[in-house]
Amino acid sequence: MDQPRIDLDQELVKRTQAGDAAAFDELVIKYTPRLYGLVYNMTSNHEDTNDLLQDIFAKAYKAIRGFRGKSSFYTWIHSISVNMTLNFLKKRGRRYHLSLDDVDASIQNDKEFMEATATSSPVREADLSELQRRLNEAMMKLSEDHRAVVTMFHIQGMPHAEISKILRVSEGTVRSRLFYANRQLQNYLDEFRKNPVS
Amino acid sequence: MDEFDDREIARLLRLKRFEQPPPGYFENFLHEFHRRQRDELLRQPLWRICLERAHTFMLGLDVRSLTSYPAAVTAILVCVAVISLKIYQQPETAHVALQSPPALSAPVDAGGELNLASPVSMQILRTQPVRSFNESAQTHRAAPPRYVLDSVPVSYEPAFRF
Repeated sequence: MDQPRIDLDQELVKRTQAGDAAAFDELVIKYTPRLYGLVYNMTSNHEDTNDLLQDIFAKAYKAIRGFRGKSSFYTWIHSISVNMTLNFLKKRGRRYHLSLDDVDASIQNDKEFMEATATSSPVREADLSELQRRLNEAMMKLSEDHRAVVTMFHIQGMPHAEISKILRVSEGTVRSRLFYANRQLQNYLDEFRKNPVS
Repeated sequence: MDEFDDREIARLLRLKRFEQPPPGYFENFLHEFHRRQRDELLRQPLWRICLERAHTFMLGLDVRSLTSYPAAVTAILVCVAVISLKIYQQPETAHVALQSPPALSAPVDAGGELNLASPVSMQILRTQPVRSFNESAQTHRAAPPRYVLDSVPVSYEPAFRF
């Protein structure tokens, strides 16, 4: 986390606490894309993600007067998001519906995307869309807690320390969950590679 | 590389960053947020809105900073106590004065009249109210003012006689 981001967030939080609703709008605009990725990769459903994001920001707006700044706003809003999403997933139970969109065809020309898939790997050998679909299925087979860690670490690129703050667990627990989740994903994808039509 | 190792898993998972919502979603998200906020506000009963506002206000108060000024709090309490004592005492004294003014009065004697010649020390003194406040008020309203000093000598020196 860089210092200017924290300072800007603090300023916006102070203005919101003083009653400036426009300042909160700026926070919403700033954090929506990032939180969308977090919630979406945990729920695997766009509609659920949209509803949850709305609820997350509504809750944050109500609670922001009580925000004392012991942690950064970044950590605080991510904690709210992860907790609300985990609660939602526990209520939803195993009744998940895989509506994750396939990888958009247009991004296959994206530079970062091409770099990610250029090297010799099982990714190249398999049909990418199918692999992504399988990966999403594998993600959904993880427990909610493991999925949250995988999403934050691998997809969002957060460091272990930040994840431990958000989840309020030790860094050791974060590493342990990651290790276990990686093993599960590996097993599932290996199975797919050996037997692609299953 | 025949198997998916951690690096491959990580690379594959990073591709999920490219999974994006429909175009225009982020642009409309804020409008949708405002709309939902308004709808929720309209759906709530008034007491609930007030309760939430009060709750939010209480959350906004830093109680610890308030308790860090014990002298100020004590001073305010003392002032309130003094003011309330004064307010409590003022009507009490007025009430006593109006209700039962002890008066020295001569007994009503049908046989004799009170005159200057009769010694005061021989009179029986009573400490009962001559009349109640209401009676007094009625009398004052009905009759013109009368001064007791009329019958009391201003001076014991002999009056001039022509």
